[in-house]
Amino acid sequence: MNHTITFTTSDGKTVTASALTGTLVSDAAQQAGIEITQPCGGQGRCGRCAIQITGGNVRRRSTLRLSQEAVEQGYALACQSVIEGDASILVPEQEKIERNLTTDRVAAEVSVPSGYDINWSQTVRRVNVRMNEPSMDDQTDDWARLQTALRVQHKLETVEASISLLRRLGQVLRDGNWEVNVIYELKNLDNHSAAHIIDVRPSICDEDEPIYAAAIDIGTTTVSLWLVDLVTGQVKAQVAEYNDQIVRGEDVISRIIYASKHGGSDDLQHRVVGTINKLGETACKRLKTRPDQIVKAIIAGNSTMIHLLLGIPAASIRLAPFITAVNHPPLMAAREMGLHFCPDAVVDCLPGVASYVGADITAGVLSNGMDDTDEITLFIDVGTNGEIVLGNRDWLMTCACSAGPAFEGAGVKDGMRATTGAIEEVWINGDTYEPSIRVIGGSKPRGVCGSGLISLIAEMFLTGILDKAGNVNLSLPTKRVRATDQGGEYVIAWADETSHGHDIAITRVDVDNLLRAKAAIYAGFTILAEQVGMTLADVETMVIGGSFGKYVNVEKAMQIGLLPDMPWDKFKFLGNTSVKGAYFALVDTRQRERISEIASRMTYLELSADNTFYDAFTSALFLPHTDMDKFPTVAEALLSKEKR
Amino acid sequence: MPVEIPKDKWTGKVREVSFGATAADGGTRSKSIVVGGDTTLPYMQFEAPTPHTPVIAVEIKSRRPEDWSTLLEETWGDAMNDPASWAKAAEAAGADALVLWLTLADTPEDAVKATKAVLAASALPLMVFGPGQVEKDNELLVAVSEAAKGEKLVLGICEDKNYRTIVATAMANGHLVSARTPMDVNLAKQLNILITDMGLPANRIIMDPTTGALGYGIEYGYSVMERLRLASLQGDGMTQFPMMVTVGFEAWKAKESKVGTGVPEAWGDWKARAIHWETLTTTALLESGASIVVLRHPESMKRIRAAINELMAA
Repeated sequence: MNHTITFTTSDGKTVTASALTGTLVSDAAQQAGIEITQPCGGQGRCGRCAIQITGGNVRRRSTLRLSQEAVEQGYALACQSVIEGDASILVPEQEKIERNLTTDRVAAEVSVPSGYDINWSQTVRRVNVRMNEPSMDDQTDDWARLQTALRVQHKLETVEASISLLRRLGQVLRDGNWEVNVIYELKNLDNHSAAHIIDVRPSICDEDEPIYAAAIDIGTTTVSLWLVDLVTGQVKAQVAEYNDQIVRGEDVISRIIYASKHGGSDDLQHRVVGTINKLGETACKRLKTRPDQIVKAIIAGNSTMIHLLLGIPAASIRLAPFITAVNHPPLMAAREMGLHFCPDAVVDCLPGVASYVGADITAGVLSNGMDDTDEITLFIDVGTNGEIVLGNRDWLMTCACSAGPAFEGAGVKDGMRATTGAIEEVWINGDTYEPSIRVIGGSKPRGVCGSGLISLIAEMFLTGILDKAGNVNLSLPTKRVRATDQGGEYVIAWADETSHGHDIAITRVDVDNLLRAKAAIYAGFTILAEQVGMTLADVETMVIGGSFGKYVNVEKAMQIGLLPDMPWDKFKFLGNTSVKGAYFALVDTRQRERISEIASRMTYLELSADNTFYDAFTSALFLPHTDMDKFPTVAEALLSKEKR
Repeated sequence: MPVEIPKDKWTGKVREVSFGATAADGGTRSKSIVVGGDTTLPYMQFEAPTPHTPVIAVEIKSRRPEDWSTLLEETWGDAMNDPASWAKAAEAAGADALVLWLTLADTPEDAVKATKAVLAASALPLMVFGPGQVEKDNELLVAVSEAAKGEKLVLGICEDKNYRTIVATAMANGHLVSARTPMDVNLAKQLNILITDMGLPANRIIMDPTTGALGYGIEYGYSVMERLRLASLQGDGMTQFPMMVTVGFEAWKAKESKVGTGVPEAWGDWKARAIHWETLTTTALLESGASIVVLRHPESMKRIRAAINELMAA
């Protein structure tokens, strides 16, 4: 039976839609073109898709995340409420995702690999071709005419083209008046006589006119795209944007669950392709060119992101024994994926190792060069999962620890992402227990983001507000510590200092969540080292990838035992190592081959299959660690505090 | 051909801990009890002598318990009605020390009264445990600790979420604490760190690694205790504490000892079975390194005494 549903959005706009009995409110809204954010992927876990029923009725399957009061006021979860009759629904203002994506700052950090030469490093080539006009005497077909010209003028014995290219070939040759430039890709670097054509353009062009290609990293949260000129090898533009899939789930698990629902997979694929297209457009606009000029793309990303991009079912990634469908995806053409690049642009998704160690990590290894050094290197990329690689030129071991999203602000009462209004750094006075805070955007605070949480826990620990087990010391002479039903809490900002008018506090439960997250990561380090008969003291270089390293205060991360206690000069912060690895693979075909080698050389350790993990985990579930000998500088800091 | 038995040499040593103050130390106990000091695995007398005989403590309650087995009620009889007579009966049954377990119904005044009555009735070293609810434990134990200042009681039970108040009052009044963690080496170590961080000297901590009765996870408890002892012998300072286990409490929870009717006939005589349960659980845990065992039944106490004597003589 059809029902009439009237949606009213926060800006007063009204949309009427018709929906069948049993339709989810979230689906009905989507069909009506109204965006309702579902950070948990529609599982009813996060409570952020709350809407208000102002007339008629819906059946609430779950109100787990709503208070009794809210339900009485007519609130319901859009993803958990079923339409059973006509209804009027008020859609509150949706959370805006904002963040200053500081891409230009990263731009300074990339330099073209020394000795770059398109003819030496690249399989992508461009040539000018001049043909005789066909006539009544010269009846050669267009395609054979181009093939012959390429053979005679450029020694290309075998060339292939797709049907889509052949469909437009005739027009291009005529538009260019039989003088065209051809962009093709060699089958391999050692054979210069076999190629397939990517694009034919209706004019002769200068040698130094750019050939555009893209290096892309699809993060669960952020997608980055570097536009590269293959003639010089230079990065010409760097852009980044939130992955549009976020509205369908904030972490990979929620996305996988969403993808397995009806139409979910297509929706997610469209969203990420849309994000890439948007990025391509933005980058091209900056260079006054068009996305259809992009002739090649190399894509890195975690295994789930690559599966969702390619529309490959990802369900098996989530369930034991955690198997991917594909670790080495085949080459694709842009047009097959809906990318608005040159239709025959080659899209190369980099290979991954396992469900939770994907192409972002193999690309990361390439860009930090740990596979080509004698130094024992520990590489960590902290996101929702902490992926860890340990090794050097002789061996590489890897594992993934499910740290959970605590460091991204989720699972913490007043946690939030690193956007405007997030407390990103905290200092606490050891005598008065009063905090000083730094807020992103400089406005009144709304919550605490990952780096803020790390800094907060470290400060609370060093000032004695927390003991080593994470208990809040309620006997301190400050009203900022107080008891709640769920243990003690510490107030970082009073209601009148915040943007939403509620106290911002960290609770005992929050501290436990963060301790579990950091313990999972540290235990990963320990187990990986133990597996090869080493200790963390044997590590000579510690490489930290991801935006995490850029914003986190290492000293504080060490103090809470998230990072191993080692001299500062051993730490290297490389930012987004994934997109950088994709860039290196893009400008140098040999580096691309090296990533395949890296992927096959990495030995994956499934931590949940290892019974020593739990022991290492509980041992790390302490501030900074049960074994204080592992944290000498933290021990010293505590001692000097005691003396004072 | 003579066989040479290889001997292990360890670098670490379990701390010696003593509780119960005699008149010489400012208390009223007839003796002090010393546990710990071990330099090798339990009862490896050929490697190093076991320095102190394990201690049998008896569990008594501040009020007559309503959920105890009728087998226990039969044997203790009316002594269970008040802690003083119960303490006397326990001493007569051969206990080395007493554990007075307070109940939720007690007020601080009740707790102090019960403690004083037990101290007056028996001169054995005493441990006093709260009912196991955070606020109540803290309230009762602070009162008891102050009232029995100088007696070197063992106050319990400290856990990772609630140890501050108990440790603070133990420090202020010259008592010891028992530190209980749920069968995990790291957690045990962590609680010891938390307690010593507060400034309580390490020789005033007894750790309770928790255990399960026979058939209810004893192998896990056994293995954790064994690992704790190994860690302490290897020099890990925050595991070098003597261990106590509340075996009576665990063993009398088991269906085999609790239930007398409606069980398979093959299970045999109820009373014999129940006492076996407590005895067997205890002997296994002595072998894994327990220095203090807290029991409930006088017959089990006798059997354990015999077992200890054999182990010490070997």
